[in-house]
Amino acid sequence: MKFYICIKQVPDVNAPLQIKEGQLLQDTDRMILNAYDASAVEEALVLSEKHDGEVEVVLIGPDKAKETLRKALAMGADKGTHIVTEDESYDSAVYSKILTAFFNDKEYDYIFCGKQAQDTDSGLTGGMLAMQLDLPYTTNAVGMEFENGSILVKRQGDAGQEMISVPSPGLVTCSNDMNEPRIPSLKGIMQSKRKPVDTISTGDLGLSEDDLAVRTQILSFEEKPEREAGRKFEGEPDEVAREVAKLLDEEAGVL
Amino acid sequence: MSSLLTFISVNDGKIKRSSLEVLSRCREEAERLGLDNEAVVVAPDASNYSEQLSGYGVSKVYVVEDPIFKNPLNTPLLKALDAVIEKAAPRVVAFASTEGSKDILGALSASRNVPALPDVSSFEVTDSGVSGKRPVMAAKILSSVEAKGDTVLVSVRSGSYDLTESSSEPEVETIDFSVSEEEIKVVLKEILSASGDRVDLSEAEVVVAAGRGVRDEEGREMISELASVLNAGIGASRALTESGAYDPSLQIGQTGKVVSPQLYIGIGISGAIQHVAGIMNSKVIVAINKDPDAPIFDIADYGIVGDLYKVLPPFIEEIKKLKVS
Repeated sequence: MKFYICIKQVPDVNAPLQIKEGQLLQDTDRMILNAYDASAVEEALVLSEKHDGEVEVVLIGPDKAKETLRKALAMGADKGTHIVTEDESYDSAVYSKILTAFFNDKEYDYIFCGKQAQDTDSGLTGGMLAMQLDLPYTTNAVGMEFENGSILVKRQGDAGQEMISVPSPGLVTCSNDMNEPRIPSLKGIMQSKRKPVDTISTGDLGLSEDDLAVRTQILSFEEKPEREAGRKFEGEPDEVAREVAKLLDEEAGVL
Repeated sequence: MSSLLTFISVNDGKIKRSSLEVLSRCREEAERLGLDNEAVVVAPDASNYSEQLSGYGVSKVYVVEDPIFKNPLNTPLLKALDAVIEKAAPRVVAFASTEGSKDILGALSASRNVPALPDVSSFEVTDSGVSGKRPVMAAKILSSVEAKGDTVLVSVRSGSYDLTESSSEPEVETIDFSVSEEEIKVVLKEILSASGDRVDLSEAEVVVAAGRGVRDEEGREMISELASVLNAGIGASRALTESGAYDPSLQIGQTGKVVSPQLYIGIGISGAIQHVAGIMNSKVIVAINKDPDAPIFDIADYGIVGDLYKVLPPFIEEIKKLKVS
């Protein structure tokens, strides 16, 4: 059983951020493994431990993102591929094209992706990749198990949870509600340094400048119009509760 | 290339409010630019919705009807939308952002080879495509984005636009559809429904949300009572869906649902950014929390500092009184 997990290095959304002249200034020291991807890695490791499988991770990103690839290896992935690019303008479509080129000559049972990157929340790449590789897929997985050679995915839908069987080879995008990704052990970290990592370029995958041209882009960033803090009520619970209820009726008009 | 096409999500014979919000926005844009305002319904009973759509200035409704659409499966829906887009050749295909549309947006973008702007909070049609704004970094900031193409896919966060009505007599065009079992590669085994009688959270006019401060059955009963008095949808923070106290489909936030009610009441919720990302489109925010420094008070219109177990009983009682009078 062979799993490939597509992972991404993202800024920690909990870190303070600043916007200057429409540009987003981020603390580049606080880059992390995308939380949804971490859940995808964890789930593959659990399935692979149960069913004697192999887990490979693939990451597209700058040289600095190698630390994130190492993190996934320290969690327990067997091997990594780093597709190096310093270009930060790529959109989901370009990421999916690069991954499609990477997977074209690979054999695998399942590709897992995080359901979205936690900085941009786009959530397009997984579906694009599935379509381009002509794979059956499902998204927003909150649980998985094997059943008769296929993965049975519990997917969070609009009205409830859908149990969807995805045959191999297939693709699943993962929510972070599925598991608690393991923290790499010291042993895991030591071992990760000896695990094989292929470093390749988009050129190695036969992609040209035209293939990497974006059709969507971020023009600028701005602060959100702030919601102003309203009134705070402290005191006797009975009094403040009744007062606020009355205000909701008379002032806000929402009852 | 002269129309805007809105995908209409339906549920139990009713069009979802979020789809009508998107349709209202598309009508504004279509009027501004002199384009046709069209809609597409994909459902077992798709042709039943054209009358409801006539209140929203739609000139044409594409209808794709098949029993297969009873179930949420991506392959048949992708095939249906592919056929409609081929036929309509619209400048924009607009969706309400739901788990259903998130499931297909990327794949449809790849199969049609057109760009997509997901989860925007506003958009406009431009000469070269679409421009818009989308919340990023856990909805802490907005990014201005643009997509260039003859056709662009857009999904819109619920609560971003108001419903505006305008009557019309839409022409109905039925698109032939069939799908074989071999084409549908994934199999839906079962739907574990949260509960049929509950108010749909992402559509609800009032939302009551429980957080970590709601620690036991007694607290959950108070939440249920308040929700029932207000006819509200019940939501929860991630802590409470993870602990199993609430069904995972009730999670509000970056990972879960975005709500856009007239009234949101957060109870025992501290206001972590991941949760707040899902409630910013609420009109009025009320927070009840015993920690006066809880971040949710920074965005709440009405904040009650106090023990929810002491605040809720008189709060519920007073609301009952006000509702009756």
